[in-house]
Amino acid sequence: MNDTIVVDETLDTSGLLCPLPVYKAGLILNRLETGKVLHLITTDPGSLEDIPALARQRGDQLLGLENKGTTQLFWLKKGPTQGDGKK
Amino acid sequence: MTTYLERIPQPASVLGTDRNVRRYHDIRQLLPDVHQPTPLVRLNHIAPGLDIYLKLEWLNPFGSVKDRAASYLLEGLASRGSLHGKQLVEASSGNTAIALAALAALEGLPITITIPDGVPQEKKVLLRMLGAEVWETPDDLCPVDSPRDGAIALARSIAGSVGGENFLWPDQYSNPDNVRAHYETTGPEIWRQTEGRVQTFVAGFGTCGTVSGVGRFLKEQDRNIRIVAVEPQKGHRLPGMKSFAEAREPDILDRSVIDQVVRVDDDLAYSVTKRLYREEGLIVGPSTGAIVAAATGLAEPGLTVGISPDSGFKYASFFVDHLGDEGLPQV
Repeated sequence: MNDTIVVDETLDTSGLLCPLPVYKAGLILNRLETGKVLHLITTDPGSLEDIPALARQRGDQLLGLENKGTTQLFWLKKGPTQGDGKK
Repeated sequence: MTTYLERIPQPASVLGTDRNVRRYHDIRQLLPDVHQPTPLVRLNHIAPGLDIYLKLEWLNPFGSVKDRAASYLLEGLASRGSLHGKQLVEASSGNTAIALAALAALEGLPITITIPDGVPQEKKVLLRMLGAEVWETPDDLCPVDSPRDGAIALARSIAGSVGGENFLWPDQYSNPDNVRAHYETTGPEIWRQTEGRVQTFVAGFGTCGTVSGVGRFLKEQDRNIRIVAVEPQKGHRLPGMKSFAEAREPDILDRSVIDQVVRVDDDLAYSVTKRLYREEGLIVGPSTGAIVAAATGLAEPGLTVGISPDSGFKYASFFVDHLGDEGLPQV
């Protein structure tokens, strides 16, 4: 379903427990420019709640989410509100 | 098991260590013990009629009361397995981190520190100067079901994730070695320095190692000694202290030795800190102001000892907010 999304950066946090995926995703989103897309891979089931909440909290857009059982895939678009690469 | 003192290499110098003339061949030999205590200094101006002494923990080699816990934590880890090839990770508001980072540097151990983002810049820079990797985090790092202690959660996740087997996490909030440091050093020092006459002991809530360890030791000497804990307000700016209205109580907190909890807000803590500079010549950190505010407010008639956890040098960026235009030319 997300084959058409152009990804600018990928972060694979397989094996990392919460809140490490949230923390690392936040660091990358901080430096991405508005409109750029981060593809995030997690294996911590808590991410299914944490990552959408992170996107809402930061003003980023969750373009897609796929739950593949042991792995979760997210596509996050850097929001326009915090200024390019300066959040 | 070898202790850090035994691991210190012998000096190539013609001079050996001589505590009598305060000559040492390794900074770790300056870590305190009952024969080499941190000073106890009386407050002579700020609290007339009261007999209050401060224990100046900032005269420890790495600058704070946390030198004691850090050295015990590291020794505890070493006693349970080799440090060789490992990395350290710890959550700290700065002082434990600084002491651990200095000790880790001496052992050749890499160290990662997770630190609340509200900690003064000065501490974060010192940590990087010591070679630590510094991970700043908000307390509400997890957007869902936040543990309110983001730095602790982050350290736990680093140690518990894939690759975590390479990390040693002292976990100062849960590790009994933190309490033991104060039970074996700070408590006996105070007892000896006061000739057994201390009647009230005051320390802050933080990791709670100090109040639990000293409290336990002093209660064993005389159960009538009052142990007072100081708790800051919610949302405080007193690094190292914890308000349990917003943070989880550490596992090592021993409430059975605490007789009273005194709550002190930031305004009072910072105004007393300023008075300590101007009336006592004590260049202390703001948590000392909170502890002295509690001690003077209690106005206990007997001998009171308060902990002065650290000096003020790491808090210049915080103090400036409380100075307004004081000390500037009024033209």
